[in-house]
Amino acid sequence: MDNVFTLIRIFIFPGLLFLSILAFLFEWIDRKAYARFQNRIGPLYAGPSGILQPIADFIKLMGKEDITPRYVDTLIFNNAPIFAVAIPFFASLYLPLDGSPILSSFEGDVVLLLTLMTLYTIIVFIAGWASTNRFSTVGAARAILQFLAYEIPMFISVASVAVYVGSTSLTYISMNQPVPMILLQPIGFIVFIISMQAELERIPFDIPEAESEIVAGWLTEYCGPKLAFLRFAEDLRLVFCSGLATAIFLAGGSGPILPPVVWFVLKMIFIVLLSSYIRSLFARFRIDQMVSGCWRYLIPLSILQLILTRFVEVGLRWL
Amino acid sequence: MSTFNMEFIVKDLMNAFPNKILDYKFDGARSVFVSVDTGILHDVIRYLKDRYYLKHITTITGTDLGDSIELIYHLSPLDRRVLVNVKVRISRDNPHIPSIVPLLPGAVLYEREVHDLLGVIFDGHPSLERLILPDDWPEGVYPLRKDYKVEVG
Amino acid sequence: MSYYQVPIGPQHPAIKEAFQFNFILDGEVIVDVKPRLGFVHRGIEKGMELRTWVQGIFLAERICGICNVPHTTCYCLAVEKLYDIDVPERAKYLRIIINELNRIHSHLLWIGILGMELGFHTLFMYVWRDREKVMDLVEMISGNRVTPSMNCIGGVVYDITPEMIPIIKRNLDYLEERTKYYKSVLEEDPSIRARTVDVGVLSTEKALDLCAVGPTARASNVKSDVRFDDPYTLYDTIDFNLITYDTCDVWGRAMVRVDETLESISVVRQALDKMRPGPINVKVKRIPPVGEATARVEAPRGELLHYVKSDGKETPYRAKMRTPTMANIPSLCEMLKGYHIADIPAIVASIDPCYCCTERVIFIDPNRGEKWVWSYDELRNYSRKYYGVGV
Repeated sequence: MDNVFTLIRIFIFPGLLFLSILAFLFEWIDRKAYARFQNRIGPLYAGPSGILQPIADFIKLMGKEDITPRYVDTLIFNNAPIFAVAIPFFASLYLPLDGSPILSSFEGDVVLLLTLMTLYTIIVFIAGWASTNRFSTVGAARAILQFLAYEIPMFISVASVAVYVGSTSLTYISMNQPVPMILLQPIGFIVFIISMQAELERIPFDIPEAESEIVAGWLTEYCGPKLAFLRFAEDLRLVFCSGLATAIFLAGGSGPILPPVVWFVLKMIFIVLLSSYIRSLFARFRIDQMVSGCWRYLIPLSILQLILTRFVEVGLRWL
Repeated sequence: MSTFNMEFIVKDLMNAFPNKILDYKFDGARSVFVSVDTGILHDVIRYLKDRYYLKHITTITGTDLGDSIELIYHLSPLDRRVLVNVKVRISRDNPHIPSIVPLLPGAVLYEREVHDLLGVIFDGHPSLERLILPDDWPEGVYPLRKDYKVEVG
Repeated sequence: MSYYQVPIGPQHPAIKEAFQFNFILDGEVIVDVKPRLGFVHRGIEKGMELRTWVQGIFLAERICGICNVPHTTCYCLAVEKLYDIDVPERAKYLRIIINELNRIHSHLLWIGILGMELGFHTLFMYVWRDREKVMDLVEMISGNRVTPSMNCIGGVVYDITPEMIPIIKRNLDYLEERTKYYKSVLEEDPSIRARTVDVGVLSTEKALDLCAVGPTARASNVKSDVRFDDPYTLYDTIDFNLITYDTCDVWGRAMVRVDETLESISVVRQALDKMRPGPINVKVKRIPPVGEATARVEAPRGELLHYVKSDGKETPYRAKMRTPTMANIPSLCEMLKGYHIADIPAIVASIDPCYCCTERVIFIDPNRGEKWVWSYDELRNYSRKYYGVGV
């Protein structure tokens, strides 16, 4: 019985199926909000207010011809989309969606999750490199370069929360916040959101797939089902990143009256809306501006947050 | 500079290059066509450039006149208030003319264009490659020449 | 250090029309640029020679979709010089109005494109929404949103009725307010400034040497605008400013265009006020007398020149146009050197390129000339060899 319960948790609720639905829902919310910020309507026809549009897109892409260009490294090229979907799925299983983790929770799983995010970037790089297209190569090189810039401030901002709470278990962190960390560590939150925007390759950091410069960057050679999977992977990463932000900075599923899972999803939607809003506010930065900006501003800010956290902690103990 | 009048330029050119200015015709208040001897094209352009700052070349028009090819260099000064159109004629069978790119670097594309479409060879041009016609266009066919007939469909 | 080549074009998202640049790159930095024109040839110059003088207007209108009004204006001015006629005063003001409306529409379009190229999609969406207002005005006057077909030899075709004037003024007020807002966005937005300031620098000397025209030249502090230098129609009776910036970069080019939009709005207002009732065109003979003429017009992208030559026949003996984009390509290649791949779209966009304008010269018939006649088998072999399959 226990096993069945676990399987249901992993595969149906709040596991893979629920996560997939969330992924499509979040893509719709993101597209709709982005459109409204830009004075457009956004998806309209598939389902009420176009809510089924992401699923329609997915099905349409799945039905397209699957082309593998001759000069690509077939093994990597064909398998990259699978890894791209699997990694955020796996990582999302550690999110405390309904108050407890879907899979399991252990001391140090935050480190695992951040490592998985790193792994995703590696997948992006080798997928772009295996495409052997010049635009893909440039896109892949940019993805790695960008990754070197945003990963460190992101880790430090997460670390300062972990230091404050005194645990590296995501569930423990999200459940043991006296007030949401966004209030105690606003700098860390801002740094995290900016890095998240870069992690998700969104404006102003959509540099690895900058459409007007390098066509679709590392995605250029992908089409059909593979592209469908990569796009789905992007939605899943949106779920994962917003879930991570929710668990770490918004106290996860805790909140009055409503059950934790509702609170968790509402908070994730808040993060998605924030991300769409940032997306509509900026122009794309250049890769050198992005890297130097991250090293010049984000890293000092995140370290400042870490030091402040330490001070508060020590100060509290003195009192 | 801006107040100089067209007649003055033409008179001055006539004095500077006696018997080499073949013809001139005013074209509205601020434009003039001046036909010059082909041999002194460079000297005329240099003279106009140094003396009147006619450094802006708007374009080079090439026209197939049947027996010869006429080139018109549309020049204007820095403030571009007037347009001096210097006309030269070159042989149609052996269309060679010295390039003016050393004098006016802005002419680089216009000379390539005229080369492409009329087959005029500009001696001394840095890279007289194909600019407009496709790579598989046959050699020696120049579409703006009058003997190139277009099928009207 | 080895360089590698990235071909941008003929098809590329940053370039709306077919055009090719071969970029020689060192990492992300551009070392050299080789442009190649000729992907969208329609043979308009030759086509002009096959059509009557009146048909020429409509062909000229189709040289460029965006700046079609300056093309017809310029062609008509040149042909009118051949006839040696003067068009009625009201027609001249109407030409000014329609030209300036076209300029407003073109410049707003460009600001949107700049936003697009910088990845600032929100700006694009907003500007293009407001641009609809100008299109509505053009539609109200002429019946067409983009190509008004306003000019004819001897004047203009459509008149502005008194009822239209308050509508035009109301829309202009709205546009002025919005343009001022976009100006403040371009001036203040940090991400736009980061991507445009000191990018694509073209020094004043280079701009003069390479014969840059239009906003590209004016952003490099070259005081040149045909409306001032060679006032056609009645621009000399209208009070407006020549906008120049001395920043010489993409940002300067954007600011020149925004300021010019504001000036254009004021020009339209003045022209509406100065216009007096009267005829809007004069009748001319079908065939102009023998002769040749040039006309220059300030198109939204810069100086435009039309040259026509008549030999007294029904069709022009020669019609030649020089469009502003052609003049700016050497400057563009100069601007690109030393910048990043990421700057390519912004810099290329900054001259407001319009390759349809530039390429208009030829009818393509690749089988002309015997050496290119291939049988199907030969062709197939060639393609197999080319793609390296089963020879």
